[in-house]
Amino acid sequence: MDQLDTTLSEFFAPAAPRQLARRVLGRLTPAPDLSALIARFAIQASDRGVRRLAYGRGRDAATRGGRRHLERAREELLEYLAGRRTFFTVPMDLAVPPFQAKVLAAADRVPFGEVTSYAELARRIGHPRAARAVGNALGANPVPIFLPCHRIVRGDGTWGHYAFGGALKTRLLALERATPALVGSATTRVVCRHGCPHEQRIAEAKRIVFASVADAVGVGYRPCRHCRPEAEGC
Amino acid sequence: MDERTFARLAEEYAGRLYAVAYRMLGHRADAEDAVQRALTKCFAARDTYSPRWAVSTWLYRALSNVCIDELRRRRPTAPLTERHETAAPRGSARLELTRALEAVPREARLLLALHYVDGLSYRELAAIRGLSVNTVKSQLARGKTIMKRALDEE
Repeated sequence: MDQLDTTLSEFFAPAAPRQLARRVLGRLTPAPDLSALIARFAIQASDRGVRRLAYGRGRDAATRGGRRHLERAREELLEYLAGRRTFFTVPMDLAVPPFQAKVLAAADRVPFGEVTSYAELARRIGHPRAARAVGNALGANPVPIFLPCHRIVRGDGTWGHYAFGGALKTRLLALERATPALVGSATTRVVCRHGCPHEQRIAEAKRIVFASVADAVGVGYRPCRHCRPEAEGC
Repeated sequence: MDERTFARLAEEYAGRLYAVAYRMLGHRADAEDAVQRALTKCFAARDTYSPRWAVSTWLYRALSNVCIDELRRRRPTAPLTERHETAAPRGSARLELTRALEAVPREARLLLALHYVDGLSYRELAAIRGLSVNTVKSQLARGKTIMKRALDEE
């Protein structure tokens, strides 16, 4: 072992706080599982996509195409709530004013597991003084969760209003914090977005989490051609 | 794996898991949180643990997945040095090393931490991160070069 190895071994030497293991073991709690909530949501869909998500019972789709979107929306929502999905592929059919459409599109670009403020979102859409209007537009989001208005919080770090209540906003953000977004397979050396059909087939013992596609590529993985994580700015 | 065995393993590895997490995240509370989340995940999956796997590989993989995902959320502009709660005096070797570690790419930093905290072999590191042994070697060499340059400049 040379001098550098000795120096680095000392630098990396464990210095854990006392009673760490006992403290950690005392707090072992299961990861949040919100999948039971699916029964509380009513989804409406048209031929062109999901129109509305609200508390209530039942599903609403008059046409065959609408029923197809509705089933897919329900399935993806269930996977999201169970921590098995980080993005939605089902199309949305929104009838909203142009400003609200812009706000919702900007909210949709906030990555899974991250939060941003109303003011920052207002700046991103080119209306830096319209933070309150952004809040109102998000408050009237017809498809919460699918378009992630829960990732927008107040500038002081408090949650702000949420259509399904602050408690659910907390649980959704906790769920996203505990769910990795980019998963690679140690067998195929392919990196996918969490929720991609290929990713869902990776065995637990072969799952490798990455922080970015660039990191994964740097150690010999390639992006999945199905979910294309590099195109989503992961 | 029964609960008692898991508790014994957690006692045995908690310090080393914490050391790796601390060097990855640069913050004591975040490191403890990462250990908590990794052990929670392992505890939930303890029935599926296969003795074919080394326990260390299992635990370190869970921890590295948590740490790497945590780093994904961090803004690249937030420097790690400011987050250290116990900064050494300016110019000390430890501070220089801490700064140098920030310049090491995430994957290489993780491999360095695992290698020096627990003395894991190239083969074990490859199993933990799903890499080839040659990639592990090149990543470690890259990380060590950056660290060495920082020490030489001091």
